[in-house]
Amino acid sequence: MIAFEEVRIRYPRAAVRAVDGVSFAVPRGAVTAVVGPNGSGKSTLVRALLRRQPLASGRIAVDGTALEHIDRRELARRLAIVPQREEAAFALPVREFVALGRFPHGGHWGARPPGDEAVIVRAIERAGVTHLAARSTAELSGGEWQRTRLARALAQGGEGIVLDEPTTFLDVAHEMAMFELFADLAADGMAVMIVSHQLNLVARFADRIVLLNEGRVAAHGVPSEVMTGAVLERVYGWPLVVLRDPAVGAPALLPLRRSRGRSS
Amino acid sequence: MTPRRSALWIVLPVGLVALLVLAIAVGTVPLTPGEVLAGLRGEGTAEMNAIVRALRVPRALLAMLVGAGLGMAGAALQGTLRNPLAEPYLLGVSGGAAVGAVIAVAFGLVAGALLPLAAFAGALCAVAAVLLVARAAGGGADPRVLLMAGVIIGAFANAAIMVALANAPPNTVRGAVWWMMGSVADADWPRVLWLAAYLGAGGLLLLWRAREIDVLALGEEPAAALGLHVDRAASRMFLIASLLAAATVAAAGLIGFVGLVVPHLVRRAGVRSHRPLIAGSALAGGMLVVGADIAARTLRPPSELPLGAITALIGVPFFLVQLARRA
Amino acid sequence: MPRSPFQRVVWVVAALAAVACEAPARDERSAALPVDDFGAAVDTTAAPAARIVSLIPATTEILFAIGAGERVVGRSEWDQWPAEARAVTAVGPGLRPNVEAVLARRPDLVVLYGSEDNRAAAGRLEAAGVRVVALKIDRIAHVDRALRLLGALSGQSASGDSIARALATTLDSVRSATDSLPRPRVFWHIWRQPLITIGAGSYMHELLEIAGAENVYADLAAVSPPVNLEDVVRRDPDIVLSGPNNAADVRNDPRWQALRAVREGRIVVVDTILVGRPSVMLGAAAAHLAERLHQPPPQ
Repeated sequence: MIAFEEVRIRYPRAAVRAVDGVSFAVPRGAVTAVVGPNGSGKSTLVRALLRRQPLASGRIAVDGTALEHIDRRELARRLAIVPQREEAAFALPVREFVALGRFPHGGHWGARPPGDEAVIVRAIERAGVTHLAARSTAELSGGEWQRTRLARALAQGGEGIVLDEPTTFLDVAHEMAMFELFADLAADGMAVMIVSHQLNLVARFADRIVLLNEGRVAAHGVPSEVMTGAVLERVYGWPLVVLRDPAVGAPALLPLRRSRGRSS
Repeated sequence: MTPRRSALWIVLPVGLVALLVLAIAVGTVPLTPGEVLAGLRGEGTAEMNAIVRALRVPRALLAMLVGAGLGMAGAALQGTLRNPLAEPYLLGVSGGAAVGAVIAVAFGLVAGALLPLAAFAGALCAVAAVLLVARAAGGGADPRVLLMAGVIIGAFANAAIMVALANAPPNTVRGAVWWMMGSVADADWPRVLWLAAYLGAGGLLLLWRAREIDVLALGEEPAAALGLHVDRAASRMFLIASLLAAATVAAAGLIGFVGLVVPHLVRRAGVRSHRPLIAGSALAGGMLVVGADIAARTLRPPSELPLGAITALIGVPFFLVQLARRA
Repeated sequence: MPRSPFQRVVWVVAALAAVACEAPARDERSAALPVDDFGAAVDTTAAPAARIVSLIPATTEILFAIGAGERVVGRSEWDQWPAEARAVTAVGPGLRPNVEAVLARRPDLVVLYGSEDNRAAAGRLEAAGVRVVALKIDRIAHVDRALRLLGALSGQSASGDSIARALATTLDSVRSATDSLPRPRVFWHIWRQPLITIGAGSYMHELLEIAGAENVYADLAAVSPPVNLEDVVRRDPDIVLSGPNNAADVRNDPRWQALRAVREGRIVVVDTILVGRPSVMLGAAAAHLAERLHQPPPQ
């Protein structure tokens, strides 16, 4: 659904490009994970999708049409993007907050089509925040806030969803639940793109992984291809061991300790 | 709708009407209710008719319109700037209008509509300057850049006013200072009708696009994710809100705190979404200024207290209460 | 020479007594001198001032009227009368004057407006060795005093005194001429925004009374207080007094129709240039006012 084609992005007054010739696709029905060290250009790609960052060259296409030729609202109806951070200046009840996800669908006067209510309720359920629907966003914990934002994105009702670090504040149960939700969404036919630090979870749930390093694609493929010790050590610059655990069925990463300390 | 919110939509209009009635009934010349009614219908003595129809009614209506305009502008700006401390004069409106007014007073251009027009022109120039400065700094819709640009232009305007007043004859200084303190004493029907038409148009625009403010209030990136052209939508809101504020300043001088306090009060009653927030702020703002003007007229006859001082006196305890709640 | 402590004390007391006895004599001498509005004694016995800087429009006009015009070497930038005064070098504002510019004219006498704003400047001028006289010119008595004082200071005592007497005589004659006439109640419209009128503290109020009228705002002590139009309506003046610019506004503005005086067409236009400043023309101003106020009302 989303195609990055030789995308190059440079921040103003920066010496090097933040993104330097990145090409990959985010197909429907699959979870595509974008991983890489800090500063490798992952979040910059998300900003470019939000049209907050112009491209120096290259193209980002959604269903074949270049981004700049798609009406913004139209795009928001088809593709939901959840940025890394969001701080609410004003508190809202969670239900109303999620309802804002229907904004791209409504007319100016905001008359809501009758189906909206059902979509909102379903989105709240899927994100697992039904018990928070009446609470104010000001009272949510970090993890609850993240899931509420996911609910809003789901309420947009699109065919694709892009998430930048969606599980930062989640405990292991909620983290797993969210990744399982991503897998479900992909199984339903959505294009799911996740930018994440969580290499192990990505290895288990992603259908394809794009590994970025210094603005370029260092590796691209299925987890077993990308998650090799040599590649990851080179990119991350840290000694690692990659295990294959048959019980889990996916490669698992184990970073080693460099300094002496209490023995592991 | 919670009971509190629906009560609001009865209390506000009723309260506004009650205050308007009070404003028309009360004044330095004591009139019985019968005389006031006769004056309204034009059937009293010439004096009564003139007092009610030419003095009190336009004044009450102007106060209401000014309050409504400031309330709406404040609500829109607080949402767009994501800052609950934003107020309508932030983007250069007060400084620019004051410069325009002071220049007009200094040149004796005070007849009829000249002074309001000069103030309005000054405000427009200042708002344009703020938006240009912000854009040049690379942050056309970034609240922090805009706030800084507003401070810069405001400081420049203050300097210009000081220069203009430094060597001006005493009556000019007095007239300029009086204007800056805010007053609806100069209300007449043409002014009321102009302001009503203007605020009606601007208010409708704001109400029409109020959903966009809800989205803008989420933040730049979330708003972009929901399909808004953030820079354009934000600039639009700044412009409309600042123009509303500029119109009120042109009509009545600088009246502070209304645009800041009123949206908070309406939010405290449980209103979240910006469409009802803007509408509620219009009603509540109208009430506040009509009430303040009644006080300004009747507390110390025969002079009038400056309207801006009364609204500031209301604003101070309001913020003390806010601070106390936080602590 | 005192020897014991007791003798020393007696000696000191005696010395103090001698000084104390002298002091009243000095006070008597200074009591003979007039005192200006900053409380300083004005030495009118000294030689007449040859180079005068006048920082008040009224005193500039007075100096020219009493024939001391050639001695005026500097004026404030607001001074416009008489026409000859405009040829004199302007040295800046009359309130918080530019001391350096004043001193550049090498004056031996500076006349300042007696407001607190000017105390600092007065101090600095005196420190530079220049004589300073601070005068208020808010009331008719002040004008009379200024005429006499400036006459004495500039060597034109005869002229100053005679003009002062003539002024007093004119005012008296206007007063007696209007004594027997009915006294209309007048609202004097000075300024539009805000609405300002004349209170009892102003010479214009005195002129009004001399001209045989009553100021509806005689109860306010200020010089030019702002008022509320409805309050003017409540006081129900017979006549609205105004300059030509404001008069047109008043006639055309529907809000002023609330005043009986406006509905009856009793708007009296006066020459603000004549009556709007305290000057040697006060007598003519009073006569002008009296003539305009006692016209028969329009039919």
